[in-house]
Amino acid sequence: MTKQTRYFLVASAAVLVAGLGVGLVAYYGGGFPSLSASRSGPSELSYVPADATVVAFANVREVMDSELRRKLKDAMPPEHGQQEFQNLTGIDIERDIQYVVAAMTSADPRDANGLVVARGNFNTTQLETLAREHGGVVQDYKGKRLILCSEVKVENNEVPGLPERHPLGHTMALAFLEPGLMAIGSEQAIKSSIDAQLTAHSITSNAQMMELISDIERANNAWAVGRFDAIASHARLPEEVRGQIPAITTFAVMSHIDGGVTGTLRAEARDDQSAENLRDVVRGFLALGKLQGQNDPKVSAMLQSLQLSGTGKTVALSFAVPAEIIDMIPKMHDGGGPRPPMPPHAPQPPSPPQPEK
Amino acid sequence: MTETSATSRPIPAAPGYLASALRIFDLSIGEMLWSKRTIFMALIVAAPVCIALLVRTLDLLGARIVENTNMPGPAIFGLMIWVFYLRFMVPVLGVFYGTSLIADEVDDKTITYLFTRPISRGAVLVGKFFAYLGCTVFVVLPSVVIVYLLIVPMRGSLGGSFIDLVKDLVLLGIGLAVYGAVFAYVGAQFNRPLLIGLIFIFGWEQAALAFPGYLKRMTVAYYLQALVPHAMPSDSVLGLIQSIFRESPSLPVSLAWLAGICLTFLSLAASVVDRREYVLEQ
Repeated sequence: MTKQTRYFLVASAAVLVAGLGVGLVAYYGGGFPSLSASRSGPSELSYVPADATVVAFANVREVMDSELRRKLKDAMPPEHGQQEFQNLTGIDIERDIQYVVAAMTSADPRDANGLVVARGNFNTTQLETLAREHGGVVQDYKGKRLILCSEVKVENNEVPGLPERHPLGHTMALAFLEPGLMAIGSEQAIKSSIDAQLTAHSITSNAQMMELISDIERANNAWAVGRFDAIASHARLPEEVRGQIPAITTFAVMSHIDGGVTGTLRAEARDDQSAENLRDVVRGFLALGKLQGQNDPKVSAMLQSLQLSGTGKTVALSFAVPAEIIDMIPKMHDGGGPRPPMPPHAPQPPSPPQPEK
Repeated sequence: MTETSATSRPIPAAPGYLASALRIFDLSIGEMLWSKRTIFMALIVAAPVCIALLVRTLDLLGARIVENTNMPGPAIFGLMIWVFYLRFMVPVLGVFYGTSLIADEVDDKTITYLFTRPISRGAVLVGKFFAYLGCTVFVVLPSVVIVYLLIVPMRGSLGGSFIDLVKDLVLLGIGLAVYGAVFAYVGAQFNRPLLIGLIFIFGWEQAALAFPGYLKRMTVAYYLQALVPHAMPSDSVLGLIQSIFRESPSLPVSLAWLAGICLTFLSLAASVVDRREYVLEQ
């Protein structure tokens, strides 16, 4: 072996070993994601309890300012609900809310504690007056002002195994956490939220969820992450359905809304085999859909945007609804509905036979 | 008579099979590495590295590639492993190098020098196979590592994808060995090995994988693709059909079959070289 060959092999091996070394350090050192995880996500995550099973975020301002929203607004008939809401609460949804963070702190339908934290410009006096007018009671909890509404009984139509009327309802609460920061949810959820922030035992200390959030929060103006296993274990599903649920541990949905909508659905399976099985199922559906949609270029273009990817235990399906597809939404201003299709032209009558000359 | 035998030099014992193969390896790796064929290999290996470099540079300049494609770094890396390495580079390098292990010596009329050595003819082929493996592995795998370091950090974590990198490196090494062994046999047995090799990888393997049934089991790609930790892209009609009829044998089954194919074809190739008389054109 010549010296030249030996040098080449040594240099090549050095690149290989260096790359593997960097990967190994990142793998065993907790990785670079944990370093960035603590800094990721909106600061309002500190109000989400650490045991939250689902966390979602929506940049309301960006969505409202988006081209998509403008097109949808043009296409839909004018409605007055938004104006009525503004008259009642003083909140202009299009301008006053910057973003919202939502969380579900329990997957059990008997104890579902939903929480929505909104950042924006709120007229606290008007909101408090409104709540009082509807029977709200003002309470102070660890220095934060809470307005509690009376308990609401929930009609049980969907959850099997529970009585028709049961104490599923919670005392709803509205809290002013900070100037420009408001929380709405069950009393228990709001109190847990305040506790989480004060004790620093919030979702930001949950490495698993923060890793998910740090992966997806950049460049997406709406996202949700959650622990699928926790939700599935509490969901009251028939055994036949439960057996068919894929072995997914966590999920993430992310989307960017602008002129169109682009997004990704990502699931983390329990093991590589489960992920491969799930990929096979999705791939099969995609392939069938693409074959079925080949005749229609619009459907075909949309299905082509569906891209299955993922590595190891991760399964990801990305999609894109381009602005051109949005443009196809019929305007519903005139006559309250889409314009009916034009009737086909009547066939021309056959020409009479010409007598032979 | 006694005097003559006392002064004659004792004939050294011929080296064993493995020692012979290692000597041929030592002799051949340099030749193989600095041959014209390496320029071709360098070009196809450099392509994914250049693309990765371009993607990373554009990303650093704020081109929002990841956001626009909705694919984070690890997904792009997985796609590159499929498209550049597994579907193209590994089989093509196997064909070009594997078929030329003996054919080059025949064409250069230097095979006589190897066959007149006191070593087994089969060991010549095995030694050249090791040289091919060393040559390709030391060029292809570092390029995979560079692509990993460039692409994966784009909204991904190096640590999170490390196990997949290791799997990729192992499966690419296995792929190079198995394709090399198959085409070493083709090169030793047939007269137009390159043509047969290209038909095998771009004709037979692609077609067999697209049909349901047992045909796909008679391909290397079927077992190799089962080891890939990344999702299979279905970006073309053929890829789409292949993805519909895709079956994945289990890891032990795939590894056993790949080992079996490699050893069988390497033994067959060595056996052919042992038996065949190569006629050099004058």
